[in-house]
Amino acid sequence: MHKRFLAVFAYIGAALSLIVAACTPFVLLGAFSQAVARTGIHVDAVYTGGTISRTVMRDGYQVDIYRPVQPHALQNVQPFVQIAFRPADSLPLRFSDEIDLDGDGRPDVRIRLVVPKDRNARPTGEVFALNDAYRSFRLPGSDRGFSELIAQSNGALLVRVPINSQLASR
Amino acid sequence: MASAAIPHPKRRPPPFRSVTRSALLTLPIALWALLMFTPTLRSPGLNQHIGAFATIAFMTALFFLMMRTGKTYRWRRWFFVALGFLFPVGFIASLIHLRGSMSISLEHMLGGDTPFCHMVIPMIIIPAALTRTVIFPGSILPTASNPHSIAVMIALWLAFTLVLGKAWCSYACFFGGIEEGFAALPKHIKIRKLDPRLRLVPWALLIVVAVLSAALFEPFYCRWLCPFKTVTEFPTVTSVQTAIQMAIFVSLFIGLVVVLPFLTKKRTQCGFFCPFGAFQSLFNKINLFEIRFDRTKCVDCTLCQTACPTMALSAQSIREGKTLLNCMKCGACVDSCKKHAAVWHLKGTPVAVKPERARLLFLYGAWALATMLGGSILANSLATIIGFLPLR
Amino acid sequence: MAVSSISTHAAEALLLGLATGPVCLASCGPVVLPWMLVQPQGLRVHARQMTLFLAARLAGYLLFASLIWAAGAAIARSWSDHTWMFGAIQVLLAGGLLVYAAGWPHAHCVIARSDAPGLVQIASPPTQSPQPRARGAVMLGFLTGINLCPPFLVAGVRAAQLPTLAGALFFFALFFAGTAVWFMPFLSLGVVRRTPSFLTVARMAAVLLACWYGFTGASLLIEKAIYG
Repeated sequence: MHKRFLAVFAYIGAALSLIVAACTPFVLLGAFSQAVARTGIHVDAVYTGGTISRTVMRDGYQVDIYRPVQPHALQNVQPFVQIAFRPADSLPLRFSDEIDLDGDGRPDVRIRLVVPKDRNARPTGEVFALNDAYRSFRLPGSDRGFSELIAQSNGALLVRVPINSQLASR
Repeated sequence: MASAAIPHPKRRPPPFRSVTRSALLTLPIALWALLMFTPTLRSPGLNQHIGAFATIAFMTALFFLMMRTGKTYRWRRWFFVALGFLFPVGFIASLIHLRGSMSISLEHMLGGDTPFCHMVIPMIIIPAALTRTVIFPGSILPTASNPHSIAVMIALWLAFTLVLGKAWCSYACFFGGIEEGFAALPKHIKIRKLDPRLRLVPWALLIVVAVLSAALFEPFYCRWLCPFKTVTEFPTVTSVQTAIQMAIFVSLFIGLVVVLPFLTKKRTQCGFFCPFGAFQSLFNKINLFEIRFDRTKCVDCTLCQTACPTMALSAQSIREGKTLLNCMKCGACVDSCKKHAAVWHLKGTPVAVKPERARLLFLYGAWALATMLGGSILANSLATIIGFLPLR
Repeated sequence: MAVSSISTHAAEALLLGLATGPVCLASCGPVVLPWMLVQPQGLRVHARQMTLFLAARLAGYLLFASLIWAAGAAIARSWSDHTWMFGAIQVLLAGGLLVYAAGWPHAHCVIARSDAPGLVQIASPPTQSPQPRARGAVMLGFLTGINLCPPFLVAGVRAAQLPTLAGALFFFALFFAGTAVWFMPFLSLGVVRRTPSFLTVARMAAVLLACWYGFTGASLLIEKAIYG
């Protein structure tokens, strides 16, 4: 009797697995994808730059200033703040701007960039820190990975300014 | 008067099943394949139509042969090897179309354009559980520039795992067919003796990549150990570190995916290296389908052990009537067993009682999913190849 | 006033340890995990080994605290001199893990081939499993105790600013207590059944992690040698 019950359950399970297989492309794939997205998981801010803290409008473009990103655990990334200039196409070949990163009304960095019209070419330039909270850098220069960069991505010009901490470098 | 004895020609064993019955059993799969490719057939594009029809015919024919001959492994291998070799074609073509290059630059990572692959799944679990952060430079949902999104791939993996358990490695993984192809090439095994401890390496690697990914908050296997970066996408080589990484990828590919399978006729990357395979083995514990051994028929000839591509059988496990946890349910042992002692089995039912029923129940689910995922990859790659041919 | 100052520092040290414990775990966990997996089964054995490990780690912490206090906070701030030390410690940790993988503290546990199902039998199981030696726990504990991870240096800078050596040592001891809390879950590994294949996997993992630590340590040393 016990064995019979087990066998019945086994065949029910097998039938269910066939139903799952049949439903996958029509129902389950979409449902599972949405369920995964709804868990609230997000791509690491080291890659995305984090969330936008505030937006400043300029003449012809806008400046999105992101919240500071702190590395997790032993991530080999220094803390940084991302700035996005949108749209990148409307930026002049050479331009400079002063940005207030922490919202205290005083500019924190001065940015001077050369923005090639070719989207595949990497912009170059200099980020000059106006106070000790941030670190200056110039590109092309030493490769600091995700914490210090100037790049074009998804129609925006991204600049990441490393946050200066006394133990920031290793 | 007595002439020299003329040996009788070897008689072929009768087919397992009649043509009519095989065709009837194949009909659901044929209809399913047509259903899967209906959107492709409705949209314009002669190359896509040819690719779709060829794939429908291919998958249907293979399933028919599985039914007709009663064998699984040989016909499944045709599909799997085709998938392994054609996947890079379509994938590389789409990378070049979207990005202009196989290499992935910093800009593409920032834009979330890195295609997500199932191998990353064991690495993202701990960081995602602790911080809800996915340590991969992709996108959660599909975008125009990245259809291979994180949520879709996880969803696919979940669906396949519910149905197949570790048979993912035999019916879904678009990498495993490459080494299975190289393993199939030679007639004879050149290296026979393999240390049984090799089958434990994937478990050790799984611990290491999971721990280091959580500690370093980066997909460790993808950054340092994935052999398949050689035939898919890889970070642009811009420093000594990325050059070392590339050297590791290429060395592992040549060693584990080409040379060792050729010498051993085993799936050496899958069985002795892949940490995702070890992770997927855990789901064999809960999956309903397995392979068992009828001890009343088994004569311990060890043909099954020789046939198994991942050393998922040992003398002790066969004595106990079962496979090891890393069994991929490819069917090689069942097909090689001359005494029909190795059988497909549905957990909860008696062993070796109606094994063909268990096999059919497994194969319908497996082949349906294989047609959906692998079939679409095959069709797409065939369309790409046809597009390259100078047919005019 | 003095009492409130001491309690403030104490609270600060403890909270710093608790807050940065995950980073300590990330830094030292890859060493501790395979080492604990190779230990014989049993909560008592694991508790003993963990106690030795943490005691040696505390000794490393206190040694660092005294050096930092004597040299001043500037040492902790200037990074450029630390790379070689960090690299050297990584290489030593790699060596320690390799020694464990080879089975040095458990000489009787020679992993031999067998045709056990997917398992590897211990060749000559002892009649009575000897206690693991203390040397390994002490060595690994001390090395992780002087491993220069970021929270360690944050605590170092803070401790160096205290007026007395006793204060710096007290600060570091409490900081250590805060981080040690995060290592307690490793004790649960003592209940996991130690099959021969489990031990083999643990040893393999130790070798692989040793390769990683050795590679990163050697890279740092080479980078320091070339670029200064």
